[in-house]
Amino acid sequence: MTIELTINGEVRTVTADPRTALLDVLRDSCRLTGAKAVCREGFCGACTVLVDGEAVPSCLRPIGMLDGRSIVTIEGLAHFETPNPVQQAFIDHDVVQCGMCFPGMVMTLTAFLETNPAPSRGEVKAALSGNICRCTGYERIVDAVLSIQDMRKVSGR
Amino acid sequence: MTFPRSVDEALNDLAAAGPDAIPVAGATWVMRSPLRHEVMAPVYVALSGIEGFQRIDVTDEAVSIGPLATHDALAQKLPPNPDLKALKRASARSANPGVRRIATIGGNICTAAFAASDFAPALLSLDAQIEVRDKAGLEWLPVLAFLESRKSRELPWLVTRIIVPRTVRLSAHERLPMRKAGDYPCAIASVSIAVDDRGRIHDARIGVGAVEAAPRRWQNLEQALEGQPVDPALTETAARDLIADFTGRDAVDAPGWYRTSVLPVLLRRAFETIRTDYETRAS
Repeated sequence: MTIELTINGEVRTVTADPRTALLDVLRDSCRLTGAKAVCREGFCGACTVLVDGEAVPSCLRPIGMLDGRSIVTIEGLAHFETPNPVQQAFIDHDVVQCGMCFPGMVMTLTAFLETNPAPSRGEVKAALSGNICRCTGYERIVDAVLSIQDMRKVSGR
Repeated sequence: MTFPRSVDEALNDLAAAGPDAIPVAGATWVMRSPLRHEVMAPVYVALSGIEGFQRIDVTDEAVSIGPLATHDALAQKLPPNPDLKALKRASARSANPGVRRIATIGGNICTAAFAASDFAPALLSLDAQIEVRDKAGLEWLPVLAFLESRKSRELPWLVTRIIVPRTVRLSAHERLPMRKAGDYPCAIASVSIAVDDRGRIHDARIGVGAVEAAPRRWQNLEQALEGQPVDPALTETAARDLIADFTGRDAVDAPGWYRTSVLPVLLRRAFETIRTDYETRAS
């Protein structure tokens, strides 16, 4: 089956078994390896990408159901030299440890902050409940997210 | 994979492809087939193009839910009224945020092998009706009859609508995952009750999920609570006295004894929510 997708702003045609997970198309056909294949059952969040602006686990999206959709992966979120506010906050707070979960964390939090730009600590934790990190204990990640809120208040954005 | 635009087309596609074809809603269950060591079905019939299947209508009389309404869409659309609290919480707390954006209520209740459905016990407690279409036509089933028919009904069939009646009742939904969120709950309790003029429980409906292989009503506990006050501690005690009604299933996430041990606690928590709503309403 041939499927047309817009991936990180670029229209791409993919030929694949329609039951193939979006995650595998991204990693194996498109060489976009930022989304990680970890649990493959939607529990860990490491493969999270944006599909039409919604953060979803790409391991559970069959490619055949995505014809015409817009996909944004961690590679397409921002330019390497100008990270988005979530990425910058993670750098500033020295949040990243092994790094396996962080592409998914960034995708989830970027979409979350678009709809909830001034969240409480509890709301950030609830938003992250589908993104598992085995290194950090989460608290510094939440601190980093809340610092974005503070920066917005200071800058008046 | 086929993309029917109507229920008739979908039934035709399923019939033409034979018993190995499966209807696909959110695809969150079928995409995990390899993890369950199952062969992926050779033909998917994607239902996402059928008009009205994502629709949710809320009126004072009933909530009408299309089978492809996602958990997230339902959580956002449902009002916070006490009669719908069980359904709203089942929608808002299942799985995790990413899965809730793609998993559907239809997929959740149609997957007979999935023991930890949040919607099945919630719909049992709310006395929902399920609209099913097959070659013979359209049929409305009480949710328990539908759940029991899933493995035996002649293929192909589709759930085409779910109706939850609105009544002056109080409801709650409690679940216990092994983490705070994100994984399957090892026990689920959904409760809906009426309260009479004396403040006594009338017509309790209690749905239990994840404890056994299939969800069901806890009728002995419902009868024991008839005429009792809305008392969480009393409810927990009654649940413990009747817990032999259940044989907990052993699975990777939890042994059977653990599921039955925590179920009375979930009942207490559900009645704490209900008591708060009752006191708010009374004041």
